[in-house]
Amino acid sequence: MSIKTFQWLCLCAFPFLANAQGYQVNLQGQKQQGMGGAGTACIQDAAALFFNPGGAAFVAGSAVNVGVTPTIAKAAFLDERTYLTYETKSPVSTPFAAYGLFALKDSNNLKAGLAVYTPFGSTVQWEDNWAGRFALTRLQLQAIFFQPTISYQVNSKWGIGAGFVYSYGKVNLQKDIPLMDANGQYGHAGLSGKANGFGFNVGIYYKPVEKLSIGLTYRSKVNMEVKNGQASFVVPAAVKDNFPDGKFKASLPLPDIGTLGFGYKPNDRLDLALEINYAGWKAYDTLAFDYEVNTSSLLDTKSARNYKNTFAFRGGAQYKITPKFAARLGLAYGLTPVQNGYVTPETPDANRINYTAGLGYAFGKHFRADASFLFTHLERKDTNLETNLSGTFKTNACAPGLSLSYQF
Amino acid sequence: MNHSLFTDLKLKLGFTSIALIVLAVSCIPKFDAPESAGGNIDASRYVAVGSSMTAGFADGALYQEGQKNSFAAIIGEQLKAIGGGEFTAPYLPGSSAGIGIIPGNTVQVFAKFHLTYKTDCKNVSSLSPVRLAPTDNYAVFAANVSGTGPFRNMGVPDAKSFHIACAGYGDPANVVSSYYNPFFQRMASSAGASVLSDALAQNPTFFTLSLGISDVLTYALNGGEYDSITNEARFDAAINQVVNQLCANGAKGLIVNIPDITQFPYFTTIPFNGLTLDQSQAASLNSIYNPIGFDTVFAQGNNAFMIRDAASPIGIRQIKEGERILLSTPLDSVKCYSMGSLLPISQRYILSLDEIAAIRNAINAYNSRLLAIAQRKGLAYADAYNFFNRLNAGVIYNGVSVNAQFVKGGAFSLDGLNLNPIGQALLANECIKAINSTYSSTIAEVEASSYRGTVFP
Repeated sequence: MSIKTFQWLCLCAFPFLANAQGYQVNLQGQKQQGMGGAGTACIQDAAALFFNPGGAAFVAGSAVNVGVTPTIAKAAFLDERTYLTYETKSPVSTPFAAYGLFALKDSNNLKAGLAVYTPFGSTVQWEDNWAGRFALTRLQLQAIFFQPTISYQVNSKWGIGAGFVYSYGKVNLQKDIPLMDANGQYGHAGLSGKANGFGFNVGIYYKPVEKLSIGLTYRSKVNMEVKNGQASFVVPAAVKDNFPDGKFKASLPLPDIGTLGFGYKPNDRLDLALEINYAGWKAYDTLAFDYEVNTSSLLDTKSARNYKNTFAFRGGAQYKITPKFAARLGLAYGLTPVQNGYVTPETPDANRINYTAGLGYAFGKHFRADASFLFTHLERKDTNLETNLSGTFKTNACAPGLSLSYQF
Repeated sequence: MNHSLFTDLKLKLGFTSIALIVLAVSCIPKFDAPESAGGNIDASRYVAVGSSMTAGFADGALYQEGQKNSFAAIIGEQLKAIGGGEFTAPYLPGSSAGIGIIPGNTVQVFAKFHLTYKTDCKNVSSLSPVRLAPTDNYAVFAANVSGTGPFRNMGVPDAKSFHIACAGYGDPANVVSSYYNPFFQRMASSAGASVLSDALAQNPTFFTLSLGISDVLTYALNGGEYDSITNEARFDAAINQVVNQLCANGAKGLIVNIPDITQFPYFTTIPFNGLTLDQSQAASLNSIYNPIGFDTVFAQGNNAFMIRDAASPIGIRQIKEGERILLSTPLDSVKCYSMGSLLPISQRYILSLDEIAAIRNAINAYNSRLLAIAQRKGLAYADAYNFFNRLNAGVIYNGVSVNAQFVKGGAFSLDGLNLNPIGQALLANECIKAINSTYSSTIAEVEASSYRGTVFP
């Protein structure tokens, strides 16, 4: 066991596995993560509440599944004009997901569940005095989704399910203002607020033959609205009247996502999953801040983001080495929603390949642990049309995850 | 069974924490950052020849922060990566509040401007550029600092093209001929030295030349009433002489051309129609001016100021759109003592359309001469004319927006004529681009947003 673990560590040093687009963090169930994030048609555990509510009813019995995926994302920026490089010193973020799926007593076919997860959220903190300080110094996004769900197994082949989504989150954006005081200090803006939104998650699961399964899901757009944000400004005293502290409104859309997935089980030991995923990122057209009090210096801002709708492709395999011990590998390719001219230090996004792997071990009849690992590397050269910040962003993200499940 | 399960978990946790540490380190993306390379340039002895902009004159005075942030000093700093040495300059002490002299005045020393609250004649307090109390007197010019030289930065504030080769330009005995500059007196290696001879004595391998602004600026600052625009042939001869000698030993170099100075905030801040009148004020002005044959009607709202003009039939007229009112205009007189309405503004505070045309024609002529010289000598050519035009329209650099607006725009210093460090840095980047494209070098530009704009209290 320990030798095997060490081998996994060595692999970590090479380009390996992750799963995100834009500011979305798709770190859910560990089994699915190990398989490239594909879980729409390959139903294994209570994480189906997220991946396909229609398939959740096919999970045997009741199950509770809790996992965390500490994500270490490091970004760096090279300004090609000055040859200077800057790094982020972002803290480790800890996306988690907890799923509880319960067979209802009166019915064998109907299951109810609750999924609590963090589908997006991270902190990007750039080093002090970096070249993009007047665009962004720090952005913290946190959101937690609560999704009560009903899943119904229509017959041995069909399942349908639906969940209601309530989201609650916090946003905190910091940047410097290029107004210097007599001590040589630049001004600073901080915008923070709480946000919430609503949505739904529906899915259909179809298993025409024993070896094949098909899943189709749709997660609605969730508009995270900040209605009562607080803007505060530190600027030289002489211009403070132009930058009054006060309320602001803003909203950040999480795109709707449609997924079509296929699962294939050639034998008892092997599971294969493949899916195509469509994200309606076009919803993120503009980042607007509406300040309650405007002045000649503090106007409402509308920054074009012009995201475009994108596709992602995911595939993975699970192989049961012994009945108790499973190994997983996966690969995902995601197209970036961010168009040229719109790359920002908040989300220096690019097309990406996620490399994933995982291990699972059943400790008995009820209890099991699953580990996953994801690595992704992003690289994007761009000149932002709004700030003229010009250079290359590189990001590496490593996300080792661990989940514990109990089935009864 | 229970025991081994526990050991397994402990092992797993142990490895997980090691894994996290390894990941944190191995996850940092690395760049193969490009490096500066000299191409065809020998940067070992870079000498900057020029006037106020090269010297780093700013906020109405020469002072250390401005000197250290001149485009020439910034280029000198960037050349260090390709073998350039220390870029020496006749620095004033950091404690000095700066030394400036009003053109024509060689007695009093004026310290730099800072932004502070000033109460006007109407007892209204507002943020205005105000000069600090001087920390130096005229003796500072006589205190020669050439012992700390030679100076790579040979920029001399207010120097005109034909001053550069003048022997004795730092000798007060030449004050009568006006071929004397107290800023050069401070740094000259001897009383008989010229800016050019002190530059050549360093046997430069690379140079920048930025001359010509003073050839039109002194005239413009006096509303065209004093001093004259250097004629094109004289300018051409002077620049040719300087460039030929700088290039004699094979030095490479950069010529910076001349911006349209009439767009500087010194000339654009006071609007031509800044005479704001109410109905009764307009009526009373009409009742005074109409009977003396002046048929313009004043009206409620914004009106063009009244100015003197010897060429107009009755010696006065309203200023026309496009003409300039200089920042030296006594604003208290305008606000409280009827200047610009009952008392027409004197011609020395005004640039008429003809004067503006004369200045612009000279600048265009100088620039075509400079371009021809640069091409003939194979020198790099930085288009400052175009750069300043872009500044007027507004430039966004790494999220920082700067433009040529007085105080607010950030690019210009509080004298409305010379650049702030961020303006100098942006200009230095234009120069570096020109150098790189001419000499196949890859000198790094500077992160301009780390240079300051206007400082607010």
